[in-house]
Amino acid sequence: MKRYGIFALILTVLMFFAGYAALFIAPDEATMHAIQRIFYFHASSGWAAMEASMIVFFANVAYLAKRDLKWDWLAISAVEVSVAFWTVMLVTGPIWAHPVWGVWWTWDWRLTLTLVIWILYLCYMVLRTLIADPERRAVFSAVFGIFVFLGVPLDYLSIRIWRTQHPQPVIFGGQNSGLDPTMAKVFFYCSGVMTLLMILLVVKRYRLERLRHDAEELRLAVEEASESAGMSRNL
Amino acid sequence: MHIQNFGSLFAAYIAVWAIFFIYDFTVARRIARVEKDLAEIKSQIPHK
Amino acid sequence: MTTARAAAIVFGREVRAEMRTRELLQTSIVFVIIVVTLFNFAFEPDVAEARRIGPGLIWITLLFAASLMLNPSFAKEQNNDTIYALRMAPATSFAIVLGKTLANLLFLSIIEIVLVPVFSVLYNVPVLPVLGRLVLILFLGTFGLVVVGTVFSALSAQARLRELLLPLLLLPVMIPLLTPAVEATAGLFADSPALDRTWLSMLIAFDVVFFTASWLLCDYLLEE
Repeated sequence: MKRYGIFALILTVLMFFAGYAALFIAPDEATMHAIQRIFYFHASSGWAAMEASMIVFFANVAYLAKRDLKWDWLAISAVEVSVAFWTVMLVTGPIWAHPVWGVWWTWDWRLTLTLVIWILYLCYMVLRTLIADPERRAVFSAVFGIFVFLGVPLDYLSIRIWRTQHPQPVIFGGQNSGLDPTMAKVFFYCSGVMTLLMILLVVKRYRLERLRHDAEELRLAVEEASESAGMSRNL
Repeated sequence: MHIQNFGSLFAAYIAVWAIFFIYDFTVARRIARVEKDLAEIKSQIPHK
Repeated sequence: MTTARAAAIVFGREVRAEMRTRELLQTSIVFVIIVVTLFNFAFEPDVAEARRIGPGLIWITLLFAASLMLNPSFAKEQNNDTIYALRMAPATSFAIVLGKTLANLLFLSIIEIVLVPVFSVLYNVPVLPVLGRLVLILFLGTFGLVVVGTVFSALSAQARLRELLLPLLLLPVMIPLLTPAVEATAGLFADSPALDRTWLSMLIAFDVVFFTASWLLCDYLLEE
């Protein structure tokens, strides 16, 4: 736990520096000016959210293959943390869009896809609250998680064909869509910090899930012991 | 740095910090609750 | 026993059980007629608007109907404890899921046989000239819907609040099916009807991906 505290402290410092870099080191954007600086946290949150979602899928498959509840704990931890990051995207997105596009929200493909994934993970979390048995909860949420993951490329395709209004990808986009070198450095730094934050939150959430499991096991053991004690008294 | 739309930028940064802080807080609170439960169960063991 | 034969037995059992009472079908048919009527009060469309919102109306109605009527598919086994008999039956879980999927496909198709003419008459949208292509799209869309719906019905049947949980699981996962199904149907209701190849292939892709997924994952649905 002490190591975790130190890591959290270092990360806080790194995050403050990320905020500083995004506000003061990154050069001014020619057309959008200050508001463009949201990009450094908005896009890097999206990056971390995607990484967390990959962890979810990997953990779901690993659970079904290995049947070790630890994978299930990792899956729910990563789901919750990815929801936090998707929420950051969904909140900062409209704040950026309002002055730039003149509307809070458009049903452009990337916004729509983010919203859909966010909803799907909320459903994943709801499903888990409605199944009491840990093994069954783990199996069923893994199956649902895999269905969700398989749907995402199809969502991407259908929404992409259906709508396009978002600024074109500037990182992996076409030839002319390069990012200013300083902007790129700040962006990659922010993405790194967000990834570390994601890992830190997953570790903490995983600890919660493990403690819950331990508490449940211990409670069952105590109940069993007191029951058998009661029986021997009765005999 | 241009100060155009600075309010929105400020709001977005506050939102980012707030979301992570609130999430971290809820996890910490849930951990504290489970740890309390765990301690309670453990305290019952010596009496059996 | 081969999978096909076992699936046929499960299919026959489902269909016979339903045909004895017909309660699922009659309830669902009344439900879709109500929904189609409610849409009129909510949107009050003229003929041109009806053609525009019609495809969405049809598919939303089908999605809602499916998320309600697929629920008993596995829930009834839970209520009757026949789930144990199914688990012990000398059939693979895939055969059971496949049999139930096909039965649900039949039930939903019967709903559509009622829904489409009712919609066509009430909203003055002619469907006869494009009937063949419409049936193709309805079949592809419904197939994807029941494949995922039957699997999720098995999940929700073993959870609390299952009637509420099934729509929650099914509806958001159906988004990549809803878009192509609605757009392809809209292409048929346009002034010069055409079948859009892109949306058609999206529908087929959805069916293939999720049919494969249900085949690979169905073993996990029925275990203790």
